[in-house]
Amino acid sequence: MSPVAAAPAVVVRRLVRRYGERTVIDGLDLTIQRGEFVALLGESGCGKTTLLRALAGLDPIDGGSVNAPGRPAVVFQEHRLLPWDSLWRNVSLGQPEDGARERAAAALAEVGLGDRLDDWPRNLSGGQAQRVALARALVQEPELLLLDEPFAALDALTRLRMHQLVKELIARHRPGVLLVTHDVDEALALADRILLMRDGAIAHEIRLSDEVSLQAARADLLAQLGVVPADRRASSPASSLSQTPA
Amino acid sequence: MSLADPRVGSGYALAPEPSLRAPSARPSARAAAAGAAARQRWLLALSWAAPVVVLIVWEALCRGGYVAPHVLPAPSKVVQTAIKLASTGSLFSDLGVSLLRAATGFAVGGLIGFSLGVTVGFSRLAEAAIDRSVQMIRAVPFLAALPLTIIWFGVGEAQKIFLVSLGVVFPIYINTILGIRQVDPKLLELARVQGLSGWTTIRRIILPGALPSILTGVRYALAVAWLALVVAETVGAQAGLGFLAMDAREFLRTDVIVLTILIYALIGAGSDSIARLLERRLLAWHPNYAKGAR
Repeated sequence: MSPVAAAPAVVVRRLVRRYGERTVIDGLDLTIQRGEFVALLGESGCGKTTLLRALAGLDPIDGGSVNAPGRPAVVFQEHRLLPWDSLWRNVSLGQPEDGARERAAAALAEVGLGDRLDDWPRNLSGGQAQRVALARALVQEPELLLLDEPFAALDALTRLRMHQLVKELIARHRPGVLLVTHDVDEALALADRILLMRDGAIAHEIRLSDEVSLQAARADLLAQLGVVPADRRASSPASSLSQTPA
Repeated sequence: MSLADPRVGSGYALAPEPSLRAPSARPSARAAAAGAAARQRWLLALSWAAPVVVLIVWEALCRGGYVAPHVLPAPSKVVQTAIKLASTGSLFSDLGVSLLRAATGFAVGGLIGFSLGVTVGFSRLAEAAIDRSVQMIRAVPFLAALPLTIIWFGVGEAQKIFLVSLGVVFPIYINTILGIRQVDPKLLELARVQGLSGWTTIRRIILPGALPSILTGVRYALAVAWLALVVAETVGAQAGLGFLAMDAREFLRTDVIVLTILIYALIGAGSDSIARLLERRLLAWHPNYAKGAR
């Protein structure tokens, strides 16, 4: 995709997070550059949402460090719009009052809802509500954007449209992005780099570039996730197109 | 409570459903829908006709001499009395006195209940210190305090305002706490992610989230306030609707007593309408209140 600026949006060093006796994140290292889109895949309970919550500052950490230059913006799986506030008030939540409406209007226009400033959240479809949540995150001009399965609850077509919209928005605003998802194809469609998390650490990493075929990367990821038997997987993500997935 | 029942006398429970007017309905379905709509209209008419019939029968029994005037006056006599008292202005001054008492008591009790509710809602320490005591006092029927209030305050204004306040405090208190506790924890998490200050979180998320519950408390408290006032005024007063009624009792003026009962009923219904209007205004965002449907 596009070249990556050499300014980290977040640097995580030897992060540890425990719930009681159980260590959910165990000495994890991760650096995301500004303008870089990182997708985090893994089975349920592997700690990927825990990692995102630690980066968002929602949970305390039990060891190591998380360094981010500013406050990250977060889009959750549910839109979490305030039902009692109009769309523009929702988008400007936490923003300085001066010119808040103008900035919210611009952000809503970017997600295609520029004519709905004074509407209530209850009049929105699921996809529209999630677009408002995106606008609310981007209006903060974050250096790090955390996406916690934001498209999981949407229907397939809406999800594809959201992917397109997110690609455009990220290309324009260029934050560092961490997308937590279950969806291998979503990760392949959006990310520059895909991380696979297992047992509280990064178990596998694929850097997508022009040399890497999507099919090979897909086969590799599915094998790593145990969906496809390992002997049928591509030996390397960089291997040629002749390696077709099962 | 029945005085303030939202459904008494209001016809919208019987209003035809929008789906019955759907233009895409097929002919047979449309005919059935038209039949259902006609039946709805008939039921609506019946619901209004029944009380009118009761009034007519009441009037006839009184005119025919079957009911003595000092037991129950004819409706027409009550209307005449209302016009007479209104023309001298005494009805309005008594009404004004009563309304002022109710409003003052409601404001005082509401403010105390809301303040206590907010304090307890936000602080586990305050809950530990205050809540059990308040719940204990709440277990006492507040009207049982009536003799005590007379010893404390006599039968003046302070006694009436105190009794009304006492009745209003608890519904407001309980519903304020309930509303605050019910605010979606996911929205509180959002507040942290968006970097909201404590005060902004209260203003933008917690209080709006608690508002539906608080307004339910207000609606209930209005009914309680009115009940408390009726009792306090009936026991002893030098002015107000209750005084009017007790004064009339001395002279067997049943028509005046019935009139004051009717006025109490009208004001009860009126205050409930105001509460519902408030809900529709303040909760316009809420799907359950959006079209006044509930």
